[in-house]
Order: sequence, then C-alpha cells, then structure tokens
Amino acid sequence: MVLLAAVARLLPEDRERSADIRRIKEMAAGDASGLSTIYDRHSTAVYSLALRIVREEGEAEDVVQEVFAQAWRQADRYDARRGSVIAWLLIMTRTRAIDRLRMRLARPDRQSTPDPAVLDQLPAAGEDPASGLVAQEDAQRVRQALEELPLLQRMAIELAFFEGLSQSEIAERLEQPLGTVKTRIRLGLLKLRDALGGATA
Amino acid sequence: MSTEHDTTLAAGYVLGTLEQDERERFVQHLATCVECRDEVRSLERVSLALAAGVPSRTPPAALRERVLSVTKGDASERTGQNAGRVLLDLPSRGFTWADPRAWLPVAALLVISAGLGAYAWTLQSRIGSLEARLDVALQEAQASRTALVSAQTAAMGVQRTMAVLAAPDMARIDLTGQAVAPAARARAFWSRDRGLVVAANNLPPLKPGRTYQVWVLPASGAPISAGLLAPDASGVATVAYETASDLPTPAGVAVSEEKAGGVPSPTVEAILLVGKRSA
Repeated sequence: MVLLAAVARLLPEDRERSADIRRIKEMAAGDASGLSTIYDRHSTAVYSLALRIVREEGEAEDVVQEVFAQAWRQADRYDARRGSVIAWLLIMTRTRAIDRLRMRLARPDRQSTPDPAVLDQLPAAGEDPASGLVAQEDAQRVRQALEELPLLQRMAIELAFFEGLSQSEIAERLEQPLGTVKTRIRLGLLKLRDALGGATA
Repeated sequence: MSTEHDTTLAAGYVLGTLEQDERERFVQHLATCVECRDEVRSLERVSLALAAGVPSRTPPAALRERVLSVTKGDASERTGQNAGRVLLDLPSRGFTWADPRAWLPVAALLVISAGLGAYAWTLQSRIGSLEARLDVALQEAQASRTALVSAQTAAMGVQRTMAVLAAPDMARIDLTGQAVAPAARARAFWSRDRGLVVAANNLPPLKPGRTYQVWVLPASGAPISAGLLAPDASGVATVAYETASDLPTPAGVAVSEEKAGGVPSPTVEAILLVGKRSA
C-alpha cells in the first residue's frame, strides 16, 4: 500500500497519522476506545475551530458533540487517501459550525465546503503532504502570514472562512466591487500558500 | 461541454464562497482543467492550516463524557444543553447610564441631521488608516518590548472591528457634522453580539484635557456612553467598543467633546456628530 510506504519513513507526524487511522478503523468496527483516543487527541482543535466560528461556548460544545458523533457513525466512510483524520474532523467542524451560523441568520442554504463526492473524482493525492496533513508548523505559518496580508485581503479571507459569507456578501460588507473581492481572496490565499513553502507542487 | 477558465474560482471553491450556479460550473470545469485541480489541492492545505491555526481553547472536561456517550446504545445524535455564554476575550468595560435630561435636545438634533446630505467616506480609507495604525504599533513593538501591549491592543481592535463588520446583524449608522464641526464625518457599525465600531474623520484637534466621547442613543431613554474616541493628528479615529448584550437597540449614535475621562451624559452644545439609524 502507498500509505504504508509513507508510514515507513517514520516521521513523527506520519506515525501519529497512521495511529489515527488505526483508531478510525477501530471505530468503524464498533470499538468505543478508538473514539476516546481520537477525542483526546483532537478535541482541542475541533473545539477551538468551532468556538472561533460560532463564538459561543455552549454552541461550540454542541458542534464538538455533533462532529465526533458523525465521526463515530461514519468511521467506515473515512478514506485515508483523501486526507488525514484531523483534516476530516476539521472539515466536518467548519461545515457544521457555519451551518449553525446560517441557521441563526436563516440565510439561504449554500454548501460551505466542497462536496466530498467531487473530491472523490480528483486523482488521489498519494503521499503529497498537501493532501491534508495538518502540521502545527503549517498552522503557525499561515497564522503569521495572515497577519501580514493587506487588511482587505485578510478581512475577505476571514469573512469567507470563519463567517461563511459568499463573495457577493463580502463585496457588500467591504464596499468593494465583486471582481476586486474575488481577486483579493485569491491573491491572499496564494500568499498564504507560498508562506507554507515547499510541497505545494 | 467546456466552461471558461476563471482563475478566481478555485480559491472561492476551497473557501466555499461561490454561489450555487458558479460552483456547479466550476465542478464541471475541474473535470477538464489540471491547472485548477492543482490549485484546489494546494489551497486545501491552506484551508486546513487556517482551520488548525485558530487560537487554541481547551474544551470543558465534562464535554468528553457527553461526546463519548454516543457509543452507548443508539448512535443517534443528542443535542446537549446550551451553556448560553458569550465568549469575548477582551477586557470588560464600564457602561455609564446617562442622565435623562440630555435626551430631548439630542432627539431634536437627530431630526436635523437626518436631512443632511451625502458625504465622502469610504471603508477603504478607513481600513487603510486602521492598517497604518496597526503597522505603527507593531513596529513600535519590535523596537521595544514595552510597546507590545499597545500592539496587542491595536490587533484586538482590528479583530473586533472585523468581527463587527462581519456580524450578521450589523447595522450601519452614518453620522454627520453639526454646527460646531460641520466637516466632521463618521460611520458607526453596531452588532448586538459583537459590539460597536465608530470610524470618524475630520475631527477638530482636541485641546489639552478634552476628549471625544461616543454615545448610543436608544429609541427612548437617556444616551449611553460607549466610550472615548481619540483622533490621530489628522483627525481620524477608528475605535471598537464592546457593548452590553442588554444595550437598548441604538436609534442613533452621537459624538460629543467632553472633559478628559468622559462624562456621564453628553453636553448637548458640544455634540459634533450625530446620526440616526435608517429603518
């Protein structure tokens, strides 16, 4: 298996990643200890993201509960080729947290993250670290790079990512033409990508 | 069925900001465009790093048991009780409930200002000045560790400002200069959840021992102090205020010139900016 070849390199991240995958397999087999290990490893990241988006502790706790319940129910659907376990959990977290924001506003439904079915059609990422290994190093670099972006780029990205606003809603908020907003979001994301360096090919 | 190549779509797709029809078209395009697929992949790493890079908060210990109980019996979701607390990591501020005697004359001013016309104010320029202030504060912080607090304060101000501007319930109030400062202009942004931002320019220079003070004008009752406003040398100020969650919905916002430290209720003849929320 391609995956085992990657694990054989024995980088600490790879080892943790493969341990995560084993836990998910245990969960898929109905072993509750898998869930408690996954919870202990990742609940802080899940809770932190949920809280950043919904901004309310009780609601963030509800999101955490929903995400791990979903992980428990859908553990058999997790596909390691599509990304790490933490990536899987954080995508679910963002989707559910933004859905809650929208529910509060009763905004028309819009999918907040790419449809997983679509990603299935993309070629497998293999060992490419870009496939979703969330190294703390990546997170720190992006956080730093985000702070260094021109403020309008940063605001546009934050409004999109953490508030779930559409491009036209962002354009309205920032009093900028829609085309400008689209360009700024892309430029900003490309700068963040460049800040991650290497392995982006 | 080919679709045109638009370089901005991959970013919008990854962030989930595309409108439904745009998204559908892009998905079709992805099937045929290697360049866009590569961009989506590389930006997904950015997206995950953004998700993982938020300030770290430890979930409450009791949540663990609640979550793990999902493995017992029925796997259906349970929604837990809502703790109902707002998290704001800024220092709390005092709110001054003002003296009612100032209210009626201010109401009269509101009617006058509502008839005043257009003005030139752009968010672009406002953000530019906010950014400049943050840059200065960060440079100072690099020059001297003692200035770190001011950089953090500036950064928090930017965060708060962004949060208010992004708030789903954001209301905008345009303020116009009164007789004492006809060129002054300001715009206020208010969200019940996230606070009040006041951005002003052309503020006259303050004499020593004086300050500008921002007032929330409820539909009935006395003006409520939101806090002080200190302009820079060019008469520009942008300040984010935390507001109490039980603050009456503002019918208007005013700025007055007062003695340093602020006063419990506005001096009516010293009100230089006022604006009413449009319905």
